[in-house]
Amino acid sequence: MMSRRFRFDIWTFVLIGAWAILLILLIWPLSSILRASLIDNETGTLSLVHYVEIFTTRVYQRAIGNTMIAGFGGMTGALILGVTLAFVTTRFHIYGRAVIQTLAVIALVSPPFIGAYAWIVLFGASGVVRKVLAAIGISIPPLYGVAGVIMVFSFKFFPHVFLITSGALAAINRSVEEAAESLGVSPMKRLFTITFPLILPAISASALLTFVLSIADFGTPRIIGRDFNVLATEAFNLYGGEVGENPGMASALSIVLIALSMIIVFGQRWVLRKNVYYSNMIKKPERQQVSGLKSLGLHVLAYGIVLFGALPAIIVVLFSFRRTSGPVFQPGLSLQSYEKVISTVSEPIWNTLIFSSIAVVAIVITGTLIGYLISRRPSFATGSLDAILMVPYVVPGIVMGIAFITRFNDPPIALTGTGLIIILAIYIRRLPYSARSVSAALKQVGPNLEDAAVSLGYSPGKAFMKVTVPLIVPGILAGALMSFVTAMNELSSSLVLYVGSTITMPVRIYLSVMDGEYGTASALSTILLVMTVAAVYAAFHLSGRKESALL
Amino acid sequence: MRQKEWGVAGLKIQGLAKSYREVRVLENINLDIASGEFFTLLGPSGCGKTTLLRTIAGFQSQDRGEIIVNGERIDHKPAHKRDIGMVFQDYAIFPHLTVAENVAFGLKARSLPKSEIRTRVDESLAMVRLEGYQNRLPAEMSGGQQQRIGLARAMAIRPTLLLMDEPLSNLDAKLRIELREDIRDIQRRLGITTIYVTHDQEEALAVSDRICVMNKGNVEQIGTPFEIYRKPLRRFAAAFVGTMNFVPGRIEGGRLSIGSQSIPSPAGGIDGPIEVAIRPENVLLAGDPHRGEAITLKGEVRKVTFLGREAHYTLSTEAGEIVAQVADPERDFIEMEGRPIEVKLPLGRVALFKSNGDVVEAGQG
Repeated sequence: MMSRRFRFDIWTFVLIGAWAILLILLIWPLSSILRASLIDNETGTLSLVHYVEIFTTRVYQRAIGNTMIAGFGGMTGALILGVTLAFVTTRFHIYGRAVIQTLAVIALVSPPFIGAYAWIVLFGASGVVRKVLAAIGISIPPLYGVAGVIMVFSFKFFPHVFLITSGALAAINRSVEEAAESLGVSPMKRLFTITFPLILPAISASALLTFVLSIADFGTPRIIGRDFNVLATEAFNLYGGEVGENPGMASALSIVLIALSMIIVFGQRWVLRKNVYYSNMIKKPERQQVSGLKSLGLHVLAYGIVLFGALPAIIVVLFSFRRTSGPVFQPGLSLQSYEKVISTVSEPIWNTLIFSSIAVVAIVITGTLIGYLISRRPSFATGSLDAILMVPYVVPGIVMGIAFITRFNDPPIALTGTGLIIILAIYIRRLPYSARSVSAALKQVGPNLEDAAVSLGYSPGKAFMKVTVPLIVPGILAGALMSFVTAMNELSSSLVLYVGSTITMPVRIYLSVMDGEYGTASALSTILLVMTVAAVYAAFHLSGRKESALL
Repeated sequence: MRQKEWGVAGLKIQGLAKSYREVRVLENINLDIASGEFFTLLGPSGCGKTTLLRTIAGFQSQDRGEIIVNGERIDHKPAHKRDIGMVFQDYAIFPHLTVAENVAFGLKARSLPKSEIRTRVDESLAMVRLEGYQNRLPAEMSGGQQQRIGLARAMAIRPTLLLMDEPLSNLDAKLRIELREDIRDIQRRLGITTIYVTHDQEEALAVSDRICVMNKGNVEQIGTPFEIYRKPLRRFAAAFVGTMNFVPGRIEGGRLSIGSQSIPSPAGGIDGPIEVAIRPENVLLAGDPHRGEAITLKGEVRKVTFLGREAHYTLSTEAGEIVAQVADPERDFIEMEGRPIEVKLPLGRVALFKSNGDVVEAGQG
């Protein structure tokens, strides 16, 4: 007698719902990109003509090459800065570690375009720093082109590396390093043969993240890249129609961009194929007390990195209070930029708050349920759900935007021009982060707790609500605020999806920068920055945890 | 003295089987556990004991078989409707609730009146000797105390059955003994049918009415602690519970031979290789008084291990290595190392196992 029972409980509905969401909001829209990339614009038949053009046309070949340069360059720079900062702050006694972490977080959450624009203010053709240096006889080239892009990426993305690797560095069993020392390995050699291999999972994860962020970023190359064209800018141009619309070509470029990200994803898996170290923490690493010149040097290094990283945000705040006359800054301080923002462009502020709030509520609810499903109900269906959830990580916002506008332009789902389409794009892009962070939080909660509640008479659904949810609420709230921050700062998908009435702050800032309205851009950026920092502060406060827990 | 309000139940398990993919974790388990019994599932990790316990609790479903409590089949019921109390290895105390809230947790699910809940919480905490800890948070308490909360919480709902999954294995040695005595006392007093899982044979011997020795998803032997220790029916049970010497031997033509020794076989009717099993405390050394027949082997003391109230002599004999336990060793015990010695294995304390692992019954044939 077989009585293998399949219990049709609440989690079955969650599983079906999750798959439905991913099919409608992710797979279906992205399939349109794939399809468009394979259709000949003239004949309307299936063909590889776009791909052939990409790989045979000089401008696209250059875009691919430049994308790789930007990706690896940004990744390398961010890794060097981030790992150095993490090492210095976890292994040596540095005064004001909270300040360093705060500055790193400010750099991390700085709204997009603040960076690119502020760097131009400092190091552009008529940049402040360049002028000062020129006055004392030092001449440096303006920050345009490939070097500028890589530098901006390095200083924009290093906080990710810093936060991820400091956690790993702080969790290395000190005895392992002491063992290497007792075996006569020099400190430098120990770093490369013991310490870094042990934190390889963290290093490679942050490398992957910074690479993907670098190649997906399209504002930086557009504003300071000048003729440094990358796939993201080409796709946007072809889609946006500045040089004549070519959705097929834009789609094919998008697919190439996704493929590049996927290669790196698999590369990271390959690097990590054998590197699973389980370490029982016996002794935590201690911070070494240093003095004199060495201490000074370490402080200069640590503060130098974070101050330079936070510089764009600081500059923008300062500039928002400067007097302007049209696009030109005048001597003296004034609130006129804010007055202008409030009187003429307050709509984006409300849009941003409303869209982000709705998206975050949806993300938190579904992300929590999906995260639970993945970590507590392992099966083929949930395993493949987890794998599909990786997709939004590697799909640039611009591509997601194009996919949405292609699919949701006509019935059955006609959403173009609505706020909903912007909300849904943010939702699907950030859902994986929430699901992942919940499943990570759940790993800290023993599954026996729920079994205990069930044995005491609670149904599985009630057991989840009564026991698990209260325990992961700090994690959920922290994740929610981080989602809120990224949602408020979402630019690339919104830029494709917005219409006049649904414009958001990042889009408004971008357009202002493009139109040369730097005062307005600075004031809007400052408002966005203040809202962001407030949300981050609330996240820390609510979670009572370190910044690294928020990633 | 059993309290009337406790629903004391017997448990019957018939033909229970469970596989994960191709691996059979439980093969045709049949158990009949009497009402009020303290029944222990004993076996190494991976033997299926925890799977069996979790199947009874309803956290896992079986492929085949029936679970019957008090004559009623419960295997179709979801776990939360089975009314079975469970105590977990990692305590599974809700860290966000106070001690009293933990204990009241199951009572709230039953919508009992507030006064009743309070009475039962206080009763349960008194039972596990945690009076006055009501408003503490679990994080402030030791592992032993947390497991007491776990026990109080499971008992507060007055379950028909109490299941305990290695409840003591995360505690240190001293606490383990203290708490196991308390568990046994509480169980006796309330007469609740208890199924206890452990891999610690000493714990199983100490607390159980009956022990079920399991291996690879099968029941090897069910018996009282005395039977399991003194009359193992399977080689596995003999080896797993306590320490046992095994030396190879042979029965041929009615004679049992070990090394160069040959005596009339205590069991007739079988021929072939066998293993002779004897516990260290039953091995006699030259000079020990004894009655009855014994196998005498020549050997040498290889190593002496002093353990305080006893010493272990590792002896190399003509039949193989044998460990003998010497109670209350004298001061000159250590000088025995390297000396030749005569070893006696009294037949009354020897068990013979066939190559299929079954014991040879005395007088079999």
